Amino acid sequence: MSLVYPNGHQGLKDINLTINDGEFVVVVGMSGAGKSSLIRSINRMVTPTDGELLLDGENVLTFKERKLRQLRTNVGMVFQSYNLVKRMSVLRNVMAGRLGHTGTLRSMLGLFSQDDLQLAMNNLKRVGIEEKAYVRADQLSGGQQQRVSIARVLTQQPKVILADEPVASLDPPTSHRVMKDLRRISKEDNLTTLVNLHFIDMAMEYADRIIGLRDGQVVFDGPISEVSEATFEEIYGRPIKDDDLLGGDEE
Amino acid sequence: MSEQAKISLRKAQTRRGKIKFYMTLIILSALYIIAILNTSFSISGSQASPLDTLRRIFIVPITQVDYIVQFPEYIGYMLETIAIAFAGVVVATILAIPVAFLAARNISKKFSYLGKALLNAIRAIPELIFAIIFVAAVGIGPYAGVLAISINSIGMLGKLYAEVIESIDLSTVDAIRASGGNRLQAIWYGVLPQVLPEFSSYSIYRFEIDVRASTVLGIVGAGGIGAPLILATYQRNWEDVGMILIVVVLFVSLIDFISGKIRKKLV
Repeated sequence: MSLVYPNGHQGLKDINLTINDGEFVVVVGMSGAGKSSLIRSINRMVTPTDGELLLDGENVLTFKERKLRQLRTNVGMVFQSYNLVKRMSVLRNVMAGRLGHTGTLRSMLGLFSQDDLQLAMNNLKRVGIEEKAYVRADQLSGGQQQRVSIARVLTQQPKVILADEPVASLDPPTSHRVMKDLRRISKEDNLTTLVNLHFIDMAMEYADRIIGLRDGQVVFDGPISEVSEATFEEIYGRPIKDDDLLGGDEE
Repeated sequence: MSEQAKISLRKAQTRRGKIKFYMTLIILSALYIIAILNTSFSISGSQASPLDTLRRIFIVPITQVDYIVQFPEYIGYMLETIAIAFAGVVVATILAIPVAFLAARNISKKFSYLGKALLNAIRAIPELIFAIIFVAAVGIGPYAGVLAISINSIGMLGKLYAEVIESIDLSTVDAIRASGGNRLQAIWYGVLPQVLPEFSSYSIYRFEIDVRASTVLGIVGAGGIGAPLILATYQRNWEDVGMILIVVVLFVSLIDFISGKIRKKLV
């Protein structure tokens, strides 16, 4: 699969990957290596220009509006900047994850079923912030906001979670807490998870499998047991520096 | 330290800059002189002394019981004017929202020109013209006023709303699209909550303007306090004119004051 952006920039080159069910995959690489392009291709936030991308045997690159929405309902996404509506309550933000399952008119009138609301509340509980349900999203700290966005993704009941630099805007201890939540939940629900990270130690700590990208190409792909510092030097194309490490895990 | 060159706040002007400045000055002065000459000032006196007229407008209405008792009657007219403005602005607020989304570049992409053109066309026509048209179409009365006010307000509100929409953070729309929501849901949950406070604030501001505007609309027969006002000026009933103006100023100030307070709370 390849992706060429309209401005001629080659985002991804001849990517050939198979992601297995329930795997927790961390994609590493320097800025501009194509990590986001890869992740965003999977739910077609960007559309690869060449090749095919099979999800449960169906080529998502051919999907039109209706099928695409169905795909996106099954593939949840967590963003670097949380992408919450700051003026809405936490619970409403979490319910926004349910929109793909809810009819347009019902959702516009705010008529969510009790089951859906229970689900949303339960997911807030799982990320440990149920007491904030009726607080406006902008009252929360960064780590809490990212947990709201994880609860939102869960409420969507996806099979796959894509996380595009989920902890890049957070401080180290908070980053670790969010990553732990994400990993725990993905294991509990057997969700296939793809996470973009650029900190090496974090990738090592949470991944089952690491995919290394450089200049839009896969330069490493293997289970965590095969990864060493040399692997990262290969991915980054230079020796590892302290900047590449996040540190700060309190436990 | 003492050898440091002096720093002036403004960038040193070049010769070209100076020439430009004086050229602009000369052109503007010339335009002003032409404008003055074309308006040909002259005073063609009237029998009534200006001082007496001013006294009849400003002093008599508040000192003579005959005119003070008319105060409640004009309040009735004023309330009709306010009702016209309110009905107009409510209709305009509702209709301006879809037009604004059509005109917002970040939502409608290429089609935004369509919305913008529509809004510009509306704003190019003064509401008095709309009022004359609607008085002809639906007859004399406040209904024509409501229509004129609402159409005209759509022009301004639509443009302001579109600007608000263009300034928002679209990442929430991304999030909802990424979770399988459709376009309408993305707008409803991702855009509207971000823009509603500003929308309301602009609507209230527009209501202030509309109260003033609908005062004038009565002049062409579109209801409200403008009708007795124009009648009184035609008949040179300066005492009535004065009383009406007092009512208008009172209510307009009151509304401006209250709406200012509300708007401060909103944004």
